[in-house]
Amino acid sequence: MIRFLLRRAFSTLTVMLVLSVVVYLVFYAAPHDPARLVCGKGCDGVRLAVVRHKLGTDLPLWQQYWQFLHGLLAGRDFDAGTDVTHCSAPCFGYSFQTDQPVLGMITARLPLDASLAVGAAVVWLLLGIGAGVLAALRRGGIGERALTGVTLAGMAMPVFLVGLLLMMVCCGYLQWLPFPSYVPLTQDPLAWASNLALPWLSLALVMAAAYARMTRSALLETLAEDHIRTARAYGLGERRIVLGHALRGALTPVITLLAMDLGGLLGGAQLTESVFGFDGIGRLLVESVNTIDLPVVVGITLFAGFFIVIANAVADLLYALADPRVGLQ
Amino acid sequence: MSKSRAVAAAAGFALLAGLATACGGGAAKGSATAAFDPATCQGGTLTVLAQQGQGKFDPAELYTSGGGKVPTLVFRTLTTRDHTTGGPDGAKVVPDLATDTGEPSQDATVWTYHLKAGLKFEDGTPIRSADVKYGIERSFAPELPGGPPYLRDWLIGGEQYAGPFKGADLPSIETPDDSTVIFRLTKPEGDFPYLATATQFAPVPRAKDTGTDYQKHPISSGPYVVTSNDNGKSMVLERNPYWTRSIDDQRLACPDKIVYTSGLDSAVINQRLAASSGDDARAVSGDTDIDAGILARLNSDAELRSRVTTGYFGATQYLAFNPTVKPFDNPLVRQAISYAVDRQSVINAVGGSAVAKPATTFLPDQPAFGYTPYDYFPSGPSGDPAKAKELLAQAGYPNGLSITLSHATSQTDIGPAVAAAVQEALGKAGITVKLDPSADDDYGTRTQLPSSEPGFFISGWGADWPSGGPFLAPIFDGRQILTAGGNFNSAQLNDPQVNAEIDAANKLTDPAAAQRAWGQLDAELGKQAWTVPLYHPVYKRLVGKDVKNAYVSQWNGVYDLSRISVK
Amino acid sequence: MPSSASNPVWRRLRADRAAMAGLAVVVLLLLLAAAAPLVTALEGQNPTAFHNELIDSATGGVPIGPFGGASARHWLGVEPGTGRDVLARLVYGAQVSLSVSLGATVVQVALGTLVGLAAGLGNRLADTVLSRTMDLTIAFPGLVFAISLMAVVPGSFPRPVLLMLVLGVLGWGGTARLVRGQALSLRSLDHVAAARLSGARSWRTARREILPGLAAPVITYAALLLPGNVTAEAGLSFLGVGVRPPTASWGQMLSGATTWYQADPTYVLLPAGLLFATVLAFTLLGEGLRTALDPRAKSRLRRTRSRRSRQVAST
Repeated sequence: MIRFLLRRAFSTLTVMLVLSVVVYLVFYAAPHDPARLVCGKGCDGVRLAVVRHKLGTDLPLWQQYWQFLHGLLAGRDFDAGTDVTHCSAPCFGYSFQTDQPVLGMITARLPLDASLAVGAAVVWLLLGIGAGVLAALRRGGIGERALTGVTLAGMAMPVFLVGLLLMMVCCGYLQWLPFPSYVPLTQDPLAWASNLALPWLSLALVMAAAYARMTRSALLETLAEDHIRTARAYGLGERRIVLGHALRGALTPVITLLAMDLGGLLGGAQLTESVFGFDGIGRLLVESVNTIDLPVVVGITLFAGFFIVIANAVADLLYALADPRVGLQ
Repeated sequence: MSKSRAVAAAAGFALLAGLATACGGGAAKGSATAAFDPATCQGGTLTVLAQQGQGKFDPAELYTSGGGKVPTLVFRTLTTRDHTTGGPDGAKVVPDLATDTGEPSQDATVWTYHLKAGLKFEDGTPIRSADVKYGIERSFAPELPGGPPYLRDWLIGGEQYAGPFKGADLPSIETPDDSTVIFRLTKPEGDFPYLATATQFAPVPRAKDTGTDYQKHPISSGPYVVTSNDNGKSMVLERNPYWTRSIDDQRLACPDKIVYTSGLDSAVINQRLAASSGDDARAVSGDTDIDAGILARLNSDAELRSRVTTGYFGATQYLAFNPTVKPFDNPLVRQAISYAVDRQSVINAVGGSAVAKPATTFLPDQPAFGYTPYDYFPSGPSGDPAKAKELLAQAGYPNGLSITLSHATSQTDIGPAVAAAVQEALGKAGITVKLDPSADDDYGTRTQLPSSEPGFFISGWGADWPSGGPFLAPIFDGRQILTAGGNFNSAQLNDPQVNAEIDAANKLTDPAAAQRAWGQLDAELGKQAWTVPLYHPVYKRLVGKDVKNAYVSQWNGVYDLSRISVK
Repeated sequence: MPSSASNPVWRRLRADRAAMAGLAVVVLLLLLAAAAPLVTALEGQNPTAFHNELIDSATGGVPIGPFGGASARHWLGVEPGTGRDVLARLVYGAQVSLSVSLGATVVQVALGTLVGLAAGLGNRLADTVLSRTMDLTIAFPGLVFAISLMAVVPGSFPRPVLLMLVLGVLGWGGTARLVRGQALSLRSLDHVAAARLSGARSWRTARREILPGLAAPVITYAALLLPGNVTAEAGLSFLGVGVRPPTASWGQMLSGATTWYQADPTYVLLPAGLLFATVLAFTLLGEGLRTALDPRAKSRLRRTRSRRSRQVAST
């Protein structure tokens, strides 16, 4: 177990490191000058040089990268010209555009993306597992075929399409819900939920399909196993067998998938945010890419990558714990 | 759709930047104005819904026109735009901190201001002339970039001055006593009172200056103090106890609290204002024009129509030529393109006739700029390809020609939709247009650096203040060709006669005389076809249903937040 | 090769009605895309001509007339804001959507197969390095990277090709994992081991003994990747970093949807419907192919899929 965790921690670090190198290379190769953008109209040579120096873009690539790495691991000092700010580790640096700490910009938006991800996950788990169980109970019936159809259609819908259509119908024509705009949970729980209802539903409709299929096939597989047959022999009702015994075993792959999907969503849901006009991590990324705000782009990439890697590790761990045959590799 | 300060500046729409709000003028059409009484308007919370944040809320770094929308609530300046009317007088300069709009010397190179008595900062300390001087000096510091370039060009020694943080002061700003400020300029500038409306002219107490951190909590001289500021993304302003109407005849400051919320999608802003439920009934649009979704409802919905205010802000979107690139050195080619352009398509691409009107002059069509109508290459609403072909044949291209049009990738007014409309129209005249898109920031850099300037590109210019000077000089003054970047003289025109006329007009301190001079110059320049003016934007914005006395300033087209009531 | 009539895969596929429906739609779409110039010529329109007279500028450019201005001359109406012909833009958009998604899938499969084979058949070191790289690409936040890459590449680079490459380069990890696993298990089979022992070079072994065994799982996997790539292209164009005007693309048409869905729902529903049909058809065909190629594969694939690499543009 300890070895597994250590190895995971090491590989996580490696992935992060490679990610950051790749982002630096990609942006360094691009013909952009963030300093000019910050400096604004009528910015001449001397002033431009000062801004470049302040941003650190006057240094060669490897030095910029080294400073970044140093800040991340040991913190660093930023000389703004009028004063020196210390940014303690883990320091992702300051945005070129807003002068704000990158980590703060991301964490300020995290509640939105977390609300989005967790709420949607609840909905898609209910929908997905429910549908999967139903399909497993009524094998070969019309219900199962309908489910197959619906889940396939769900998988075929890009989330921005579902979101758009839901918004057209619910907010535009029927006016059941307000046009979504994020309200923090702590401010007004009811408004929080009603504003996020559509984004949750859109994400859930797209994601639930995979869960339904997985639940169904995992259930069918478990149902064929020995201990279930024994339970059947004891005369337990099919419903009790499925819900009481088989489902528990079948949930492992579902939880694994959930860990990975949540990991992906926490790093920003660009399309969902864009459709509903939310100012989340995903939208911050798109904007930062447009304004060559390198520290923010690096920060978000690392952040998103971090969640995915952690989610992978959690998934593997869960898998190993639930199924001793797999083992911790 | 990003319109951050940086992108806007890059776009060449420099002033839209700071205002991030630029919009209409027009007559006051605010809803329920009848029920408005300044004496009893105090109370409540006004919400401003915006796409873009305020950015760095430091008076040195803000780039506003006439003091801006939110900044004018916190920063009082020597002069300001006339806040009291939504009519054409809104484009006039009035005194703010100063007792008058400034006393010029004979040749307008020395300007003297006296501060009103009883002015105080938010902590109760009196505002002195030294605070005004220090505020201006800060804007020279390279550590606080982003403000307008004029002070550097106009003040003696401004070119070399690098701000007060290294200890040096700028001797061309004199403060003989606590209430007098004198500015010594390098050349005559009749427009100095207009410049003195910028936030750089707001007083900053040296003792409270925290350098680059000052933006977090700048010290207020206006009716509101900043009580919460999330990097300009969301801000809360509350009453300044040391401000009273008795020392400020421009601002009414009706709401007790003003909440600024940004990061919203334009469609969401419009839908929320239209629905006006809850707090949204007491909200105004900060920077968002109504879109097709709302426009389509206006005909049948009188209540909604009564909540839309139309306004104008002096700005022109145009196609720029760089005559150092062939074939744009040939006037016949430039004229042919002027004939071929389909302005209706371009206008449709940016939102239709409700939000843009065709432009044939470079100056905006408002008297304050010196508007003098002309249309030397009449192309009707949808282009005259036959005439264009004729000119091309004269120019030696009887079989048409191929050119490249550069544009930005994401911003609407200089982006792909406009480019496609131009491409299609020129195609009809036998001109094959290749599109050359670049990312917004890169686009700004390329088009504003003479050495990398493309031959033909989409650009825009908005008014730093409603006068012909800041509209024509940066674009056509040969001494404003900035080889190191930030150049907007895209034709790289350096014509001694034009330069002389600009100098002559700058000397004029009488607005009417200046308007005539600028209008005449624009009409002369138009004949050369250095640009193809496309359209002037029109601003159409919504307010919530309980908002009173909402009108847009004719100066910068923003809702005048200092006069709105929500009670 | 056995003739198609007696091919068991084809027989099984034909029995699968959903897959056949998917195939029919896919073929129709391919024909439509290939015949785009013909279709527009038949209608007498082209995808770039503006028609100012067909839209109402005062209301923001809404097409005049019901159903998005549909008429005998513009069968599916015109685009709001420009008056360009919607049918023409849809069929040219199909070209982009299909070529990018097919191209991206080819890149993904080719890269994945090469790397997977190299890892599966190479020495221990190669396997370790390549496997780590696979893990790495799977851990990459795909959409995040795609957006960054699309934004920094100079505008002169042809966008559809760039899309193919970006999607391809970011999405080969899953295939590589699958191929490596298959190669490892095939390698231990008797006849392959015999071939290796008899001194055949590894590339030759790969080509003669292993590749044929890989065909079925790789084709299946590719068929499952394809709809994801259609979605990814639409998603990136929707975000404004995909193909650029005046090139038509469904995702791009949908990006105007938040503005137009009230004033001109037809304009939103048409590309939405087409995109949905395309992805669904590819999904059905892929599912059908999977069962047809290996009826027992269901349970085996399940585990791989539970650890699938995330699609590049999913949320």
